[in-house]
Amino acid sequence: MLLLLPLAIPFLGAGLLLTFGNPLRATRAALFLGVLEIASVAAVIWQVHEHGELREGPYLRVDGLSSFFLLVIAFISGLVLVYASGYLRHMGEGRFSSPRWFYALVFLFLFTMVSVCLAANLGFLWIMMEATTLASALLVGFYNTEGAVEAGWKYLIVCTVGIAFALFGTIVLYLAAVKAGMSPNDALDWASLMNVASRAGFDPHLLKLAFVFVLVGYGTKIGFVPMHSWLPDAHAEAPTPISALLSAVLLNCAMYALMRYDAIVSRSAGPAFSHSLLLTFGALSMAVAGLLILVQRNLKRLMAYSSIEHMGMIAIGLGLGGPLGVLGALLHTFNHSVAKSLLFFGAGNVRQNAGTLRMEAIRGISRTMPQTSAALILGGLAIVGLPPFGLFVSEFAILSAAFTQARYFVAIVFLIVLSVVFGGFAYHLSHMLTGEPSPGHEHSTLIPSEWLAMGLAALCSLLFGVRIPHLFDVVLREAMRVLR
Amino acid sequence: MSIVIDVLQAAMLILGAPLVRGIIARLKAHLQRRRGASIWRPYVELFKLLRKEDLVPPTSSAVFRLAPLALFAATICMSAFVPVVHASALLGSRGDFFLLVYLLALGRFFLSLGALDGGSAFGGMGASREALVSSLAEAPLLLGLVALAILASRTDISGIVTWTLAQNIFNISAVHILAFASLAMVTLAETGRMPVDNPTTHLELTMIHEGMVLEYSGPSLGLIEWASAIKLQAMLALLVSLFAPWGMASNSTLGALVLALLFYCVKLGVLLVLLSVIESAVAKLRMYLVPDYLGVASAVSALAVIFTTLVKR
Amino acid sequence: MDLIGIASGKVLSSFSVFLFLTVLLLAVARRISTSILLFSLQSAVITAEVLATAFQEKLPEAYIVGALVLVIKVILIPRAFFSLTKRLRTVRDVKASTTPAQSVFAVAAIIYLSYAAVHSYGQAVHVPDDALAAAVSLILTGAFLMLSRKKALMQMLGLLVLENGIFLAALITTFGMPLVIEIGIFFDILIGLLLMGIFTFRINDTFEHLDVSKLRRLRG
Repeated sequence: MLLLLPLAIPFLGAGLLLTFGNPLRATRAALFLGVLEIASVAAVIWQVHEHGELREGPYLRVDGLSSFFLLVIAFISGLVLVYASGYLRHMGEGRFSSPRWFYALVFLFLFTMVSVCLAANLGFLWIMMEATTLASALLVGFYNTEGAVEAGWKYLIVCTVGIAFALFGTIVLYLAAVKAGMSPNDALDWASLMNVASRAGFDPHLLKLAFVFVLVGYGTKIGFVPMHSWLPDAHAEAPTPISALLSAVLLNCAMYALMRYDAIVSRSAGPAFSHSLLLTFGALSMAVAGLLILVQRNLKRLMAYSSIEHMGMIAIGLGLGGPLGVLGALLHTFNHSVAKSLLFFGAGNVRQNAGTLRMEAIRGISRTMPQTSAALILGGLAIVGLPPFGLFVSEFAILSAAFTQARYFVAIVFLIVLSVVFGGFAYHLSHMLTGEPSPGHEHSTLIPSEWLAMGLAALCSLLFGVRIPHLFDVVLREAMRVLR
Repeated sequence: MSIVIDVLQAAMLILGAPLVRGIIARLKAHLQRRRGASIWRPYVELFKLLRKEDLVPPTSSAVFRLAPLALFAATICMSAFVPVVHASALLGSRGDFFLLVYLLALGRFFLSLGALDGGSAFGGMGASREALVSSLAEAPLLLGLVALAILASRTDISGIVTWTLAQNIFNISAVHILAFASLAMVTLAETGRMPVDNPTTHLELTMIHEGMVLEYSGPSLGLIEWASAIKLQAMLALLVSLFAPWGMASNSTLGALVLALLFYCVKLGVLLVLLSVIESAVAKLRMYLVPDYLGVASAVSALAVIFTTLVKR
Repeated sequence: MDLIGIASGKVLSSFSVFLFLTVLLLAVARRISTSILLFSLQSAVITAEVLATAFQEKLPEAYIVGALVLVIKVILIPRAFFSLTKRLRTVRDVKASTTPAQSVFAVAAIIYLSYAAVHSYGQAVHVPDDALAAAVSLILTGAFLMLSRKKALMQMLGLLVLENGIFLAALITTFGMPLVIEIGIFFDILIGLLLMGIFTFRINDTFEHLDVSKLRRLRG
């Protein structure tokens, strides 16, 4: 019964929010619903911590891994909702672009992402992954400008095709399970599959074929190169709170789905195949994204490519395996989400103040927007992996795993890309921070919702670089145990 | 006995060809809500032409006068290959389909030579266009027939027809569907029908076949027109016998032969209706699109050949 | 009753021929309305296949799935497409970036590749090669249509052909997935098409055309 709450609240709330005509009331209702949702997710996580795992019918299930990702989703959505409540003052009043539509779509989007984490059945997981694409497409194209419509169309088409390939992979896995003697209803249930994975005679060819298609399919949603073409456009043209949600939450959800499949395939067909594929895609994504960061001209596209790079890092951590690799990967999902949200919030403020996202036109923001530039500096230092921020810890864990397993090539690529990205960010950020601000840029300070969101994010990033809070550590270790 | 039937088959193809042309013209007229001329009109035209005098351009050579004869001879030989009422023909077992295709090519070659020899500009233009169309149409024609030959393991036309007769009509064969599609497209190109060439056009710049015969008159023109009619009926009869031969007589009794003739007329009638509908419904392709059209036919026939490997396995 | 048995047997053994035909015709189609009709025909062939499988394997759930395919893919979606074309008032041309001959060659290569690809898996899964090759070639042709046709509506159609191929692959190898999952998949496809329809309206409004090859503002 408890499991239905995190699903019902955003779903019904989305419908409810459409009835609010007044933007202020809609914002307040949205914030209230957000608090409710975070509370229900916290309750679910606490129950899982007490009892191990929760089930509700054949399709919903929460274990350690799901609760970890639910924690990430809840925290980041909270930050985004707080930021969005202030950001919407910039938004116009169109027929479909009013705040109530924005919040309704955001909660629908949240509903789909929470469902992904609560899915017990791989078919249901697929349906909800496709639903995330559908729920967020209108959000990407929210501004209805030329760029937004193009980005939304590309996002919809590329992700739907990718997810269709993932469906094919799911079908092949189902086929392998049915052939090995599982009943049709169990053949898509993740827990049952994990139980019989090492014992039953799954045809290794079919499993490998399934994993390839699932990797390509869900990898499109994650943003692996070469399926990443939608990502920079979508993250750059969407409204800033949505960009943060996409980068920090949606990519993680897709990675979660991939982790589930990797667990099954590596258990029954051996880890060599799936992990080597993950390492390849991860290294490729890091390298290409890192190089493209150097030539970016749009601030939010720069952040989007950085997201691709970090997803590559998580894939490498997952592909390396072992306790250090998995710990690094899971921790990195959280750290990256926090730092990336901070960066996007700062970028949103820059956009509203300077009127453009073209980095060559933005100068001297350290004088016109001192608080935002502080946030950008902190976020930039965090995202390139410098201590004392959290990303340093997770990246260090992944690198240690690489060296422990004597995978020197991967480690070298990792380090080179880190250096290149550091140089790129330093160049772009310093260009924006220094110099004479162009005439017409007034001094601006942050409104409460903005500094609350950005402050929390910065604090979190710093905190996790020094010491992981105990509660978080508990959830993390339970997640790792699921994947063992 | 069989030889007599074969001779009668060939005679029917040769003598009945203008009737086929007349029927097509009448059907098209009906489709266009006209009454149209009588179906026996082409015979009247033929007799009229044969009685007239041959007029020859002063600059032409013997080639101009010999070309219609060569074309007619090649076409008659080609029509001797096609089984109509029973699964053999006069030359059916003595030559394979390559000979059939190249007899067609021989006839076309002489016609083009004659057109060039006539010395008019439109003759040259028609001849060059005809060369383009026929060189591109050769590949799908050969490939389609090759696909059928691979399935039947025979290369002579009557052998292929005999093999097809032994098959179950309800076993849908991808090879046959693809080969029929490509051979039908080639038939339209070879016999100068829409959408490749408009046989009723009077605009010289759109002519291919008509352009080549502009200089001819009298008996030569009659022979050329008759040869083109024979080619049309022979290719349609080839399509019928290669792809839907069921109903052909298996013995030489009169009843079986009459029944077979009846079946042939029905099948030919279906093809003629289809042809009239296509000719009335489709616009003529511009010349630069014709290679594309024949490219599609080539790809389809290539696919048919590829499919034979899958069936044989 | 035996007639139905014979008919279903014939359908199962020969439907792949008709699917190849629709795939080839889609390659040469020059107008959007022709492509939509071909998609409808393709879905009808797949419906026959689903119903024949339901009869042969005695699966009552498959009848429901067959009815869903019939109603949604053969009737509803083509009608929606036709009304969309009318309301968008676009030019009827498909605007392919390859000539018909090149498209047919590409599709012929795709069909050959599909056969080569399923050859090794056919024995493992005990299904006839033809059917699985038809499914794979539908998937690849859908992808080809999306890449080579520059109209937004044709990209949607290519996506639908791709989904047809995946559905067929599932049907052949596993006789369909559990009913609830199938219904969920249908639902997803419908909402996806609805959203794509909304986006085509927006593209038409903002860009004044539906040529997605001209959507190249965002690059790099």
